[in-house]
Amino acid sequence: MIVPALIGSLPRPVSLAKKIEQYSIGRLSKEKLEEAYREHTRRAFVKLRNAGIKVITDGLYRWDDIFNPLIRFIDGIEVDGLFKFYENNFFYRAPVVRGELSLRENPIPEWINVALEIKEEVYPEATLKAVLPGPVTLAYHSINEAYESLNELAEAYANVLGELMKELPVKLVELQEPALAAELSRATREKKEDVSPEVAREIIEGLAKIRELWVVTYFGTPRVLPEGVIMNFDLIEGSVPENYSGRIGLGIVNARETKMERRDRLIDRLRPFLRKYGEVYVTPNTLLDFLPESVAWRKLRLLGKLGG
Amino acid sequence: MELPILPTSVIGSYPKPRWLLRMYNLYSLGRLPEEDFREAVKDASVAVLREHERTGIDIPWDGEMGRSEMTEYFTSKIGGFRFYGPVRVWGNAYFNKAAAVSKLEYREPLVLDEFRWVKENTTREIVKVPITGPYTIAEWSFNEYYSSKEELAFELAKILNREFRLLEEEGAKFIQIDEPAMLNHPDEVPIAVEAINRAVKGVNVKFGLHVCFSNYHLLADHFDELRVSQFALEFANRKFRDMDFLRKLTHQELGFGVIDVHNPRVESPEEVARAIRKVMNYVEPERLYINPDCGLKLLDRRIAYQKLVNMVRGVEIVRKELAREGKKSIPFRRSV
Ligand SMILES: [Zn+2]
Repeated sequence: MIVPALIGSLPRPVSLAKKIEQYSIGRLSKEKLEEAYREHTRRAFVKLRNAGIKVITDGLYRWDDIFNPLIRFIDGIEVDGLFKFYENNFFYRAPVVRGELSLRENPIPEWINVALEIKEEVYPEATLKAVLPGPVTLAYHSINEAYESLNELAEAYANVLGELMKELPVKLVELQEPALAAELSRATREKKEDVSPEVAREIIEGLAKIRELWVVTYFGTPRVLPEGVIMNFDLIEGSVPENYSGRIGLGIVNARETKMERRDRLIDRLRPFLRKYGEVYVTPNTLLDFLPESVAWRKLRLLGKLGG
Repeated sequence: MELPILPTSVIGSYPKPRWLLRMYNLYSLGRLPEEDFREAVKDASVAVLREHERTGIDIPWDGEMGRSEMTEYFTSKIGGFRFYGPVRVWGNAYFNKAAAVSKLEYREPLVLDEFRWVKENTTREIVKVPITGPYTIAEWSFNEYYSSKEELAFELAKILNREFRLLEEEGAKFIQIDEPAMLNHPDEVPIAVEAINRAVKGVNVKFGLHVCFSNYHLLADHFDELRVSQFALEFANRKFRDMDFLRKLTHQELGFGVIDVHNPRVESPEEVARAIRKVMNYVEPERLYINPDCGLKLLDRRIAYQKLVNMVRGVEIVRKELAREGKKSIPFRRSV
């Protein structure tokens, strides 16, 4: 069976970006901004329903990048300048780790609650995942000034994420873990240290005890394959390792190019996976932020047509 | 031709006057005739050119008053591109990323009119013409037509080469190729290098190359291969740290970025002088030009102006010191 699913973000609509900007200069009230978030989320869920996407996220409309604003809710972190997010013309604000990490009170569980309510109203059949950055990706993209090693930093992040996950009102949590496949691009900066594969595997399997996990990788083939999770592989810029036998998501639609894939070719590509795994989730290969909104939706409608 | 030692220049963009932004807006809404819009752009262009000259900049430009954005301006003039809508770059900043959907065609000059107008109006002998480079246009576009990014970048190099030849005929002396994306994919840097070399081939003009907010170690390995005589790079943003890669710059010039373009704090002349003294440990003053890190367009106009004024003052402090060693001027080198 083929199940179409969304991973990570949808492109932030320009109309929403304008509201956020107005809020930031004091020209829009907090209530009006919240209304705008909800209205845009509702529209997105209607479109996801019409496209036939069965497993969805809230589109990360409240997030500037996969790390922000989460890192603003962690003690021990200062938020620094803009860095290139892998090999994209897309930039994230980097966490600078200055002290021991601990989670502060934060609105993320409530945001998921709001999304759940909207989903129940407009698309009750869908499964909603919460999306968080993974501990390994967080560690690689941090400027570490506090922890002895990157392993320790990744473990500290895992503790913070674990605490947050316990608060989330959903069964399924997506971890954005591109660093399992592409650690830190030289386009971002020079890499000085590694998270060991053993530690990476151990901390992710630890988090999988708290909530069911969907681990999303992209921009390469993951070298770490945690057990007991749904693993998402990027078929455009990576592949599925031969020895992988767990549950599987396939990033089969290219979210970095506007050219439309052909449905029949995608089906051909999926056949061997269906034979081996029985059930596969199909997704874009990475975040949809890299596409214009209209094209992103066209690609999602194409994904929806693969379902069944 | 001689220039004062440590010639000062800009990277390209400058804040648009508020009234011009209003004209852009009206024009996009169809509420301003094209002729009026063009006139407004030309007037703004002269105003900014004068502003650059008043700060004492040796090699000015018009702050790209006629360009809405640094790739969109070019992709909308070159045939074969289409637009599907804006793509987010960070936060709430977007740009109109074009898609190459058919064979690219050089339909009209890209910056020739801008150059003519600036040349007609400037009091300086040399101006710098900034143009977005072939690899960056390719990298910041979607590719639906060409078999590879390499092919797309080389096609763009051909188009830019035509433009460069026209500019040379019209008397342009200094062209800066802007390649902020050329280090985006470490594996593709050789493609960017080849595209740039193809774009400048057979054109007898001084070429600079501007790359910013990137890992310069990836660039340094290719200094010698690149057929340009100057690299205009950003250093204030990185607080003048990690300058070791400059040891690989053995014969070309450095356009040394001393002004942070993302921070409204105005650098003092002494700060600028200090930075220049530091870089002279790596590159001798005869091979140094001084410029801001990058385009100034994101700053408030008054702050951008004051930053340029202090940059020139800082340069003057060091020039006095160099004069004592008898170093007062350098030749304008088309190639090195
Ligand atoms: Zn720049």
